Amino acid sequence: MELDFFFQQLITGLSNGMIIALIAIGYTMVYGIIELINFAHGDLFMLGAFLALTVVGAFGLDAWAGGGTWMGVLLLLACSAVFCAGLNWTIERVAYRPLRASGKLSLLVSAIGASFILVNLGLFWGGLPMEVFAGGVAAAAPKDFPPLVPNTNLLGADSLVQLTPKDLLVFGVTLPLMLGLTWIVTRTRLGKAMRATAQNPIAARLMGIDTDRVIGATFLIGGALGGFASVIYALYNNTISFQMGYRAGMDAFTAAVLGGIGSMPGAVAGALVIGLVRAMSDGYLETRWTNTIVFGILVLILIFRPSGLLGSRAKEKV
Amino acid sequence: MRARLNPILLFFAVAAALPLFFGATGLFYDAFQSIFVFALVGLGLNIITGFTGMLNLGMAAFMALGAYGFAILTCDIYPFQIGFWWGLLLSGAIGALAGFLLGAPTLGLSGDYLAIVTMGFGEITLDVLKNLEAITQGTQGINPLPRPTIGGWSIELQDERSWYYLLLVILGVAVLLVRHLERSRTGRAWLSIREDALASQCMGIPPKRTRMIAFATGSAVAAVGGALFAALLSSTGEPNSYDFQVSILALCIIIVGGMGSIAGTLIGAVVMVGMNSLVLVKIADWLGSRDHGASSNVLASPNNWKYLIFGLALILVVRLKPEGLVPPRLEGDAGAVPPQPPKSRSDAPRGGASA
Amino acid sequence: MSLLEVRDITMRFGGLTAVDGVSFDLRQGEILAVIGPNGAGKTTLFNAITGVYEPTQGSVKFRGSEVRRQPDAKLAIRSAAVAVLGAISTFVALNAQPIWLAAIDANYVLGKPFPWQKAFADAWTTARAVPLVWGIIPAIVGAITGAATVLALWHRLRRTPDLIARAGLARTFQNIRLFSDLSLIENVLVGMDSRLHCGYWTNLLRLPAFSREHSRSTAEAMELLEFAGLADRAHAAASSLPYGHRRRLEIARALASKPAVLLLDEPAAGMNPSEVTSLMQLIQRVRDRGVTVILIEHHMKLVMGISDRIVVLQYGRKIGEGTPLEIRSDRRCIEAYLGAEDEL
Repeated sequence: MELDFFFQQLITGLSNGMIIALIAIGYTMVYGIIELINFAHGDLFMLGAFLALTVVGAFGLDAWAGGGTWMGVLLLLACSAVFCAGLNWTIERVAYRPLRASGKLSLLVSAIGASFILVNLGLFWGGLPMEVFAGGVAAAAPKDFPPLVPNTNLLGADSLVQLTPKDLLVFGVTLPLMLGLTWIVTRTRLGKAMRATAQNPIAARLMGIDTDRVIGATFLIGGALGGFASVIYALYNNTISFQMGYRAGMDAFTAAVLGGIGSMPGAVAGALVIGLVRAMSDGYLETRWTNTIVFGILVLILIFRPSGLLGSRAKEKV
Repeated sequence: MRARLNPILLFFAVAAALPLFFGATGLFYDAFQSIFVFALVGLGLNIITGFTGMLNLGMAAFMALGAYGFAILTCDIYPFQIGFWWGLLLSGAIGALAGFLLGAPTLGLSGDYLAIVTMGFGEITLDVLKNLEAITQGTQGINPLPRPTIGGWSIELQDERSWYYLLLVILGVAVLLVRHLERSRTGRAWLSIREDALASQCMGIPPKRTRMIAFATGSAVAAVGGALFAALLSSTGEPNSYDFQVSILALCIIIVGGMGSIAGTLIGAVVMVGMNSLVLVKIADWLGSRDHGASSNVLASPNNWKYLIFGLALILVVRLKPEGLVPPRLEGDAGAVPPQPPKSRSDAPRGGASA
Repeated sequence: MSLLEVRDITMRFGGLTAVDGVSFDLRQGEILAVIGPNGAGKTTLFNAITGVYEPTQGSVKFRGSEVRRQPDAKLAIRSAAVAVLGAISTFVALNAQPIWLAAIDANYVLGKPFPWQKAFADAWTTARAVPLVWGIIPAIVGAITGAATVLALWHRLRRTPDLIARAGLARTFQNIRLFSDLSLIENVLVGMDSRLHCGYWTNLLRLPAFSREHSRSTAEAMELLEFAGLADRAHAAASSLPYGHRRRLEIARALASKPAVLLLDEPAAGMNPSEVTSLMQLIQRVRDRGVTVILIEHHMKLVMGISDRIVVLQYGRKIGEGTPLEIRSDRRCIEAYLGAEDEL
């Protein structure tokens, strides 16, 4: 009994953790390259989910069955990824790049502003008069996301531990993505340019790297990951709301800091920890204290080890 | 000194005269009472972020602590019942204490991280207030709260005009005190940290202690704002009244108004809160009166545009007029050069050619 | 006894040794110049002396002793206080609700006077009844964490720039660090901070001591601005100053603390010849006021013109020390400077 419950929490925690990881990587990549906490990232993720729901409604994806469902999922992944990538890139171009010379506070404030604008877009989107949005009547209310991926327990109907196609979906999408990302960062010229720009933008420019394009590419990739995450989240949790970006963003940012901001493996590790902590807290303590615990971890990490679990404490020559 | 005092004096003069000359309606009083209360919160944030350069995204927490502190100490469902004025004073003390407790471990962090910590603190405070129901009445809020009494005279809730002037006076006292600090050794130490933390330290100014005092002062002022907010409603309201949106509202107030400028905070409050409480309401009324009935169109309700307006305000101001509507100006400056927009610097000394 | 004794200062950053075993003395009343090609470690040396960096090895003694916080009663009291605070806050954080319920909720009846003594007794009883794992153990953890943090922080910050500045070493910076949005006189007043006495409450309430100190300090700040030739713009923003004047403001600001030693980092950088000449006169007048000066400089005319002694660094090591005459004829020093634009 006890062990089953534990395993259940483990699975839930890991699945949620992987979703958070995709978002966390977005935060950590952007911070690593321009030292900006992209507040808008979580809300970007939220809009990706709203787009996914729109696509479901527009193409009637909830009516596709069997093998068609998986085609539908792929379609959603592609659409949201492209949308979020483009949106992220646009935000960088329009709201962040012009302010790069004005100092970090201006950038941060701009990010907060962008975040708020996106939230409002989500609110408006919820009022879209489509059936999937419940006719657009209660724009602010959470929306149901059709269960395109079934909830059947793969371990057998009487097993107390539930492993569903949803969990497989999570891992099936996130793992290849992370491998792909690792490949990009370590094996391609772009990846090298990204790492160089992150370490020393001036030197990178002197070496002929177009740092503006590299930064744009970083936002593209980060955005795409957020888009993927949004679809998986929607399919996993079957509900979306215009305020989900805030919570998810906080979790993801905590994960990124926990693992060491700027470090991609750190973001993943941190996200898994956060996912597990959430699951264990929900399961063994009380749900209402879970947020406090997560934020508490964030505060404690920042106080005692700001460089995070996997980050290094490099002494900078000044 | 003369040129600087003017915008502030102007604000108070106009505010004092306003109800006398214009037909003051309930809406007007509601709006301006909100403006004064949030001006206090903005004033507190201005000390922390505007003067000292530490971005604080959790001001709502201090406002909440002030409100709940006031409520617990004065409401008759608890045994303390110390009355309006003592409640106000102690709520400020609670804010200061919270500022110290939060600041002590965190003020060594760099700007970005400190911002996140304050945001986290805002969330934690909210959750704690919601969850410790026995103490805080959870999501119900604490009510009713006592009236302020001066001599034998007690200001009833409906006496909008007296509340208006009471809040104005309290705001005035707060502004005066903050002004005293700004134009003193204490304030200069704060400003020097914002301008160049390393140089400030090399002048002998102890960074941690100075920041803590700024933090505690700012939190105290915001807490008093919170207490007044609650007293005005005769209720704390639910904990969600003090959520992240409120922290961002405070941020908008000081950025749109002008960071580091007390006059800017006052004007910023008028603009941001006035927009919320007056303009949006008026637009909603006007739309309603145009016979559309209860439109189910999400775009039709002005309230649904709030986030967008906040966000745009922040981005536009930071892009086009970063020094805000009323930038801080210098002492005795008939002929001084206009100040540069506030820049933030990283804390590390810059290299340049190594020597 | 020398005013400043720099002994075997070494600064290592990861694999890079920026300063390697540099030693020299600073004598009261002299002007000492530290010169050397770029990358020789001069500013790093300054940073080590003024506490911006903690030397990897070596020591700096000012008036015979190292400027460093010593463990004392205050530290002990602070650790103890924080430990107690940590214990109490952790305990309260975890058990606030049950204690409140037992002490306040249970005893309070609207209209009747509240039995405070009983409430305290009930609170105490409930607190004592709390199981170990929710009560004493977290409290101990809180206490230890609190005390450990205080001590760890203290240890990391034993030698900080503000401590050293207050001891009597003032400095300017290679990349002029003024408080741009403050006025000239405010800049100087910040420099004077260590000599001002009015505290928070005096300032908040404008007690009488405030105006006394205010007029005294303002007058003194004006005098310093006059000394630096900047009095006519006292209330303008520092950012409005032309480049040549900024350095002078920095010097005036540094002098405001009445330091025993003034460290100038490349004061003549970016100046034209006539500005350099007035800078030389200014530095000499500074010395005449009783301040000992160390300066880093590339401008040879200035160095040779006003220094009493010179220390030469190259690749982090001292390769020469002596009077200008001696250094001029030292072959190693000349070789180190082959390629320098100014003549020796």
